[in-house]
Amino acid sequence: MSTFLQFLILGLMEGGVYALVGVSIVLVYKATKTVSIAHGQLLAFGAFFFYLFFGYFGLPIIIALLLCFLAIGVMGFVIERLALRPMIGQPLFAAFLVTFAVFVVFDGVFLLILKGGILGVPKFLPRESLLVGGLRIPEGQAISFVLSMAVFGIIGLMFRYSKVGLGMRATAEDHQLAQSTGISVKKMFSVIWVVSSVVAAIAGISTAHVIDIYYSYPLLGIKGLIVALVGGLESLPGALLGGLILGILENISAGYLDPIVGGGVKEVAAYFMLLVILLVKPYGLFGLVRIERI
Amino acid sequence: MLSLENVEVIYNDVILVLKGVSMQVPDGKIVSLLGANGAGKTTTLKAISGVLYTELGEVTDGRIEFEGRTIGRMDPEDIVRLGIVQVMEGRKLFEHLTVDENVKVGAYSRSDAAEIRRDIERIYQYFPALLELKGRISGYLSGGERQMVVMGRALMARPKLMLLDEPSIGLSPMLVKEIFQIIKEINLQEKTSIFLVEQNAMIALSLSEYGYVMENGRVVIDGPSDKLKENEDIKEFYLGLSELGKRKSYREVKHYKRRKRWLG
Repeated sequence: MSTFLQFLILGLMEGGVYALVGVSIVLVYKATKTVSIAHGQLLAFGAFFFYLFFGYFGLPIIIALLLCFLAIGVMGFVIERLALRPMIGQPLFAAFLVTFAVFVVFDGVFLLILKGGILGVPKFLPRESLLVGGLRIPEGQAISFVLSMAVFGIIGLMFRYSKVGLGMRATAEDHQLAQSTGISVKKMFSVIWVVSSVVAAIAGISTAHVIDIYYSYPLLGIKGLIVALVGGLESLPGALLGGLILGILENISAGYLDPIVGGGVKEVAAYFMLLVILLVKPYGLFGLVRIERI
Repeated sequence: MLSLENVEVIYNDVILVLKGVSMQVPDGKIVSLLGANGAGKTTTLKAISGVLYTELGEVTDGRIEFEGRTIGRMDPEDIVRLGIVQVMEGRKLFEHLTVDENVKVGAYSRSDAAEIRRDIERIYQYFPALLELKGRISGYLSGGERQMVVMGRALMARPKLMLLDEPSIGLSPMLVKEIFQIIKEINLQEKTSIFLVEQNAMIALSLSEYGYVMENGRVVIDGPSDKLKENEDIKEFYLGLSELGKRKSYREVKHYKRRKRWLG
C-alpha cells in the first residue's frame, strides 16, 4: 500500500508539470482553434533561458525568472506574429502544420545550442526529501507542484473575472462576433501566445529541477498535447485532470511493471492511456458540449 | 453622419455583391434598408462595420464615411470605438457566457469603469426581463430574450450609430412590437441613429424616417418612409398589398424605368 501511495505522490507531482504544458496548449486552442505542437519548444527554450540567466550569468533567481519569462514571451509573440498571424482565415490544418514547422526549426536551434551535451541548472529548489509517515516527498518537486497549481488558479481567475479574460472567452467562441463588439482579435491572439509561452516555460523550469536539459526536452510538448486532448482541448480543468492522471498512471505503471519487463513502461503508458480514453470519449474528458436548442 | 458612396464589395475576389451602393444615415434618425434575401443588405452592414474581411469580402471601390472620416479600411474594433456597432443577424450571442457577461463584453472598447456600471443598470431598465436571467448561460435563452441581450450588448458600447440586422426575424408579432418600441426608445433617449435592415417592411417603414430598397446589390428605390409606403411597387413586393403571384420582382417590370434612372 505504501509503495502505491509513494508512486501516487510522485506521479501527482510529475502530473502537475504535464498539466501546465497541457494548459498552455489548451489556452492557444481555445482562443485560436489551432492545435500547437510548437509549445514543446517553448518549454525547452524556457528551461534553456532559465539556465542562461540563472546558471550561466548567475543572476539572482527572481531576476533570472523575470528575464526568462520576458525572453520566452517575446519568443511566443514573434512566433504568433510571423508564423501564425498570416494563417488567420486559412484552413486550420494549415495552421497546425505551421506550428509543426516552427517545432522543427526550433528543434534544430535547440540541438545547436546543446551541441549534443546536457545543461545542468544549478540547484534552485531544495533537493532533500521529507519523510511523512514512511512516504518520501521530494521538497523541490512539492514546491514546484504547489506553484503550478497557483499558476492554474491565477489563469482560472483571470479567465473568469478579468476584462482580458472575458475578451478571451468571447474571442474563443466567435471571432467575427468578438470583433463586432470591439474586441481586437489579433491583439487577443498575441496576448494568448505570450501567456501560454510563459506557462510552458514554467513547466520547462520545473522539469529542469528534476532532469538536466537534454535533447528530448521538446518532446514533453507531445505529452502536453496528449494531456490537452484527453482533457478535451478546450477545458482548463480537463487539462489539469489529464495532466495529473497521466503523471500518476506513468509512475504507477512504471513502478509496478518496470521491474518485470525491464524498464520503458513509462513512455508507453502515456500513449496507451490516450488511446483508451479517446476510444471511450472521443471528445476528451471535458470536451465542450455544444449548446443546441431544440 | 454616415454616408456610403458607390460602394462596391467583392467576395473571394470574384463574386460581385454590392454594385455601387450609395446611402446616407443622418444624425439621430432611423433609416431602414429593405430588400429580398440575397439583395446585399447584410453585406452593406458588414462593409460599414468592417467585419467583411473575416469572410473574404473586400470593399473594392467607393467610400464609406462616418462623421467626416473614411472608415472603409479600418479594423472593426476601431470602428466600434468611433461609435458604430453592428447587431448581427441571427441574434448571435457568446453562448457559453452568462447574460451578464454578454452585456459586459459590449463595453469592451471602453475603460470608464464607473460609467460602465451605470450603463449596465440602464440596460436592465430597458430590458427588465433580463434581470432575472443575469446569471443564466446565454445559449439557453429564447429568441426574444436573445434579441434583448444582443441589443443590450450593442448599447453598452454607447454607439452613435447602431446597425440592426433583422431584429424581427422569427419572433412572434407581440414580441416584434415590443422590440421595435424599444428601438424607437433607444433612438429617442440615447440619440442613437439606427440603420435598420428588415424583411418586415411595414413595421420598418412605420418606424423609420427614410428608406432604401435593395435588389441584386443595387439600391433600386429610396425615399421618405411614408412615401415609400404609398409606392405601388413596394406595396406589391414587400407589403403584399396587391394581387398575389403576378409579378415576382421589381426587376421584371420596371426594367426600362430603372435603366432610365441609372443612365439619366
